[in-house]
Amino acid sequence: MPSFAYRKCTNLAEAFKLLKEDDRAVPLAGGTDLTVGIRGGKFRVGALIDIKDIPELNILLADRDGITIGAAVSLNRIISFGPIRENVPILAEACHCIGTYSVRNRATLSGNICNASPAADAAPPLYCLEARVNIAGPRKKRTVSIEAFFTGPGQTVLQQGELVTSVLIPRPYPAGKGVYLKGSRTGSVDLATVGVAVQRRGNEVRIALGAVAPTPVRAGSVENAVNKNGETDWAAAARLVRDDISPITDLRGSREYRYHLAEVLVRRGLEQVMEG
Amino acid sequence: MSKNVTINFSVNGERETRVVEADLSLLTFIREQLNLTGTKEGCAVGECGACIVLLDGNPANSCLVLAAELDGKELLTIEGLARNGELDRVQKAFIDHAAFQCGYCTPGMIMSARALLERNPSPTDADIDEALSGNLCRCGAYQEIREAVKSCSRHNGEGRIE
Amino acid sequence: MPALNYVGISVPRKDAVEKVTGGAKFLEDLYIGPMLYARIKKSTVAHGRIKRIDTSKAEKHPGVKAVVTGREFPNKVGLYLIDRTFFAVGKVRYWGEPVAAVAAVSEKSAAEAVELIEVEYEELPAVFDPREALQKEAPLVHEHLETYERVPVFYPTPGTNISNHFKLRKGDTEKGFAEADLILEREYHVPQMQHVTIETHKAAALWSHDGKLTVWSTAQSPSIVRQLLAKSLDLPLGRVRVISNYIGGGFGGKAGATMEGLVIPLAQKCPGYVVRIVFTREEDVQGTFTRQALYARLKTGVRKDGRITALQYEMIWDGGAYTEYGVNIVRAAGYSSTGAYDIPNVKTDSYCVYTNNPVGGPVRGFGMCEMQWGIERQIDEIARELKMDPLQLRLINGMKEGSRTASGQAVAHVAFDQCLQTVAEAIQWGRKEGRYRGKGIAGLVKAPAQPSNAASSAIIRINEDGTVHVLMGATEMGQGMLTAISQIAAEALNIPVEKIEIRVPDTDFSPYEWQSVGSRTTYTCGKAVQMAARDVLEQIYRLASLELGKPAGEMKLDNDTVYWLKDKSKQVPLKKLADSYKKDTGEGVSGPIIGRGSYVPTKMSNLDPETGQGNPGLFYCFGATAAEVEVDPETGTVKILQLAASIDAGQAVNPQLCRVQVHGGTIMGLSTALYEEIQLDRGRVLNPNFTDYKIPTIANTPPISSFILETAEADGPYGLRGIGEQPMISVAPAIANAVADAVGIDPRTFPLTPERVYKAIKEKEAGTHSIPG
Repeated sequence: MPSFAYRKCTNLAEAFKLLKEDDRAVPLAGGTDLTVGIRGGKFRVGALIDIKDIPELNILLADRDGITIGAAVSLNRIISFGPIRENVPILAEACHCIGTYSVRNRATLSGNICNASPAADAAPPLYCLEARVNIAGPRKKRTVSIEAFFTGPGQTVLQQGELVTSVLIPRPYPAGKGVYLKGSRTGSVDLATVGVAVQRRGNEVRIALGAVAPTPVRAGSVENAVNKNGETDWAAAARLVRDDISPITDLRGSREYRYHLAEVLVRRGLEQVMEG
Repeated sequence: MSKNVTINFSVNGERETRVVEADLSLLTFIREQLNLTGTKEGCAVGECGACIVLLDGNPANSCLVLAAELDGKELLTIEGLARNGELDRVQKAFIDHAAFQCGYCTPGMIMSARALLERNPSPTDADIDEALSGNLCRCGAYQEIREAVKSCSRHNGEGRIE
Repeated sequence: MPALNYVGISVPRKDAVEKVTGGAKFLEDLYIGPMLYARIKKSTVAHGRIKRIDTSKAEKHPGVKAVVTGREFPNKVGLYLIDRTFFAVGKVRYWGEPVAAVAAVSEKSAAEAVELIEVEYEELPAVFDPREALQKEAPLVHEHLETYERVPVFYPTPGTNISNHFKLRKGDTEKGFAEADLILEREYHVPQMQHVTIETHKAAALWSHDGKLTVWSTAQSPSIVRQLLAKSLDLPLGRVRVISNYIGGGFGGKAGATMEGLVIPLAQKCPGYVVRIVFTREEDVQGTFTRQALYARLKTGVRKDGRITALQYEMIWDGGAYTEYGVNIVRAAGYSSTGAYDIPNVKTDSYCVYTNNPVGGPVRGFGMCEMQWGIERQIDEIARELKMDPLQLRLINGMKEGSRTASGQAVAHVAFDQCLQTVAEAIQWGRKEGRYRGKGIAGLVKAPAQPSNAASSAIIRINEDGTVHVLMGATEMGQGMLTAISQIAAEALNIPVEKIEIRVPDTDFSPYEWQSVGSRTTYTCGKAVQMAARDVLEQIYRLASLELGKPAGEMKLDNDTVYWLKDKSKQVPLKKLADSYKKDTGEGVSGPIIGRGSYVPTKMSNLDPETGQGNPGLFYCFGATAAEVEVDPETGTVKILQLAASIDAGQAVNPQLCRVQVHGGTIMGLSTALYEEIQLDRGRVLNPNFTDYKIPTIANTPPISSFILETAEADGPYGLRGIGEQPMISVAPAIANAVADAVGIDPRTFPLTPERVYKAIKEKEAGTHSIPG
């Protein structure tokens, strides 16, 4: 007996209906985290509701609100989408760090955030870009900020029966450079030991980090020093990141090393985006 | 909701209809029901690339895909590359450059390389590294693989594949 | 040496077309049904007494055909020290040890049934560090070591956790240290690693109704598997058949008998069914041979002029829960313990120690990567103390023609100097390229580690049309055996490679081969094939002599024709002789032509039990690696800019395949240097898949230049020696030496992860010691 059922949906209403029918039903997009989790016993699911063919989840468009990235859009499509490359290249850069080319053919941005790994590479740039997550449920739609979306390791604000429909990168796009710096064991296909996004916005900066706390985090102390107090000693500013993070020791690195690496990468990021 | 799913698809150019169990992976389906055993399992978590096949021309780790998701798609496996007994150019290049040893990763590697050359007929070393970094080769034939793929580049005067 | 026609030529691999088309059949690709699927129940403690196993629920689960436990099947198995059972009996000694198995009609049913088996353990005190396991009060992993059968060249100490203590005493170390101007003593460490062949371990067994056992296995060594299983099951060898198909990488992990025993008892209970087990990646990493961790202490005495006068080497190996194979790694490392250097006075103690960690066993290099890590690191540390060029120090002490190894064996046909100089030149040794850039070099030597009478055999059949079948017991795991042996057969027969057919082994049809391990088969099987070819040619020439009326000693076979050397026009087609040759009158003269080759080394010997002196090496293969790196001192990231590898192959049978092997070994060495380490928590592997057990991708592959030297090995077929494992051995120390050159730290363990390198740089800045052993 198959351990779960499968159904492909072509419209949202149908998806919500199916998600409601079985409280162990889970939406399936790229499936690159979900299938691994099912195999490893992390998830026990009753049904997979395939949402990849729902047209509105395949939206990838830039309009006056910003860039809308549908939940079923693959990372490779995002990486090669002109308006993203032109206006928010930091997002393409970070998406490019996720998995392998073939994984990125299936994996989605929404999947990356719904899996809610503290190390999700796409999250730090989304924090810097103040992205908004559009959520829909059987009765109502809601929008939350990316920072409110993550609630803990593997935890989000999503309720049973809800799904992410898209992520919006709102206008105005940042005027200034952005970089995603990832420290990892191999520098090739690997999970982040620390991931740092640094995005300039005019004379201000936004900084967010992954893999250093239960959720991705904004480096508020560093931002404050630079944006409010006019700190231009980037090393001094970067040291403050230690107040913003609370890393743990795991297979990818110790707590102490993560503190150090976070500081180094924040400083490098500041140097790269704030100078020249 | 159904635990069995009817799928219509094409495999290596042939149209097929099958009924599959909902939780069956595409990899197991390819190997055990289509009997195309060239596609291999190496890790079952999408890290090694031995199971890479092309879905509508794009490389996919078949261990991470459900057979049910094959509905409406074109599947190309390693067995579909040679035509009328004539090897594909990537296959020939792998032989010429001795770009493998045990051969277990080779089908997935060739599928990734083949997809790369389709979307980028003149890849640089960096393009090759990027496209193939999802295919682990424990024998370490990477230098030969890079050369083999490069030899298929349009810049090598040998034209596009096909 | 006369010009060669087929050896020394880069012909395409024999298995090439099959492997690029997906047609190559690996074990799991065969339909060998009617089939049952096996899954194992694994221990969830590292050391514990089995209080209760209840299989009743599993037995009743739909689809289940058989369940077995160690109680029903207590048979012991092992290569050198018979300390292992297929399933845990009475107690478990490592996390993940098989305690029971299920055969069912589907994978799913088997997996579900395994979950229904209830096992209760009484946890026992466990030991995870071999240094602690040596302490008096340490828990014993094997209480009855004295009862274990063993090959008598191994020396366990009953009542302790020592399963082998290898001793080597050469010269007089006291005198040697007295002559030294500098004595350096340091500790070095090598962590556990895994082969992670992309094809995991798999096996299938069929117990036929007439009591014959057929085993399909990813085994590197079907003959040994047959022998060990027959002994364990008390069956005559003739009733056990072992088949190895193409193997998706071996690297030692599939040597000996590994997990075949898990399916045999199930097959015995279900005659007529093929019972197959396929290890998941996680089972493979946790449950198959790992490279034994090594804790080493080296004390080296050296004169001001750079000459090493004495070496004292203590090695404590983490053998894991069973050391049936590991004891010989400990021995090989012991008898080779001066590495590639000529050291007159040596005292070595090499201990194989049981712990409750995963089972140690052979990995590419068979102890040499681990043992030579310390040697090659220490030489650089000495060089710095003496303010001497590390290359120069190596050249002074490196083995030369006639030098003697640690075990006192004289080495011949040695071009180690050239190996070192070639790679040094390739990376422009001596030129400093930038602040955080550094260069490093390391040498290597390895002989096959094998019993003194490890044999190989070959049969050559000349088909009726003059084409050839070569029958061998060696396996094809990527190293290119099929191609190399075909080329040797082609050369020996003077028949083109395309006409030579050779297949992967099946013990019912293939002649005996000890094992495809130790970089030995091209040499040993090559010898057997040469002998078989000579046998064939004698038969052919005798018939040609009858046909042409000229002396048999004056005939020559050239492809499809035999001719008289003195007048080429006197010739006869080979097929006329091969197709059951008859006279013109119709009277038969000779049936099919079949040649036989049977080879055993005759110059190897056992070692003296007290001094370790003797001749353990069939041949010694030398080589070297040079590396250039750049270190990011802030993050600790090591970037390999280039690698150069040299190997003295004696004669490259197929230069292209030889090069691929050198590159592959170099990349595996790079991988261990920078990434690979099994992370354990009380014996449980924390990183059992590629998500956290990292190996390099193509993007981690730097440019590698390779140099194949050809200093002929006098006794080797066409002067060749094996080179399979060797290229890996010197890579980790070469990279570490380059890192030391770049940032002044002294790595005493690896992998050199960014974190480890960063910490060492910090400690150095703080004036403390660097990466500890």
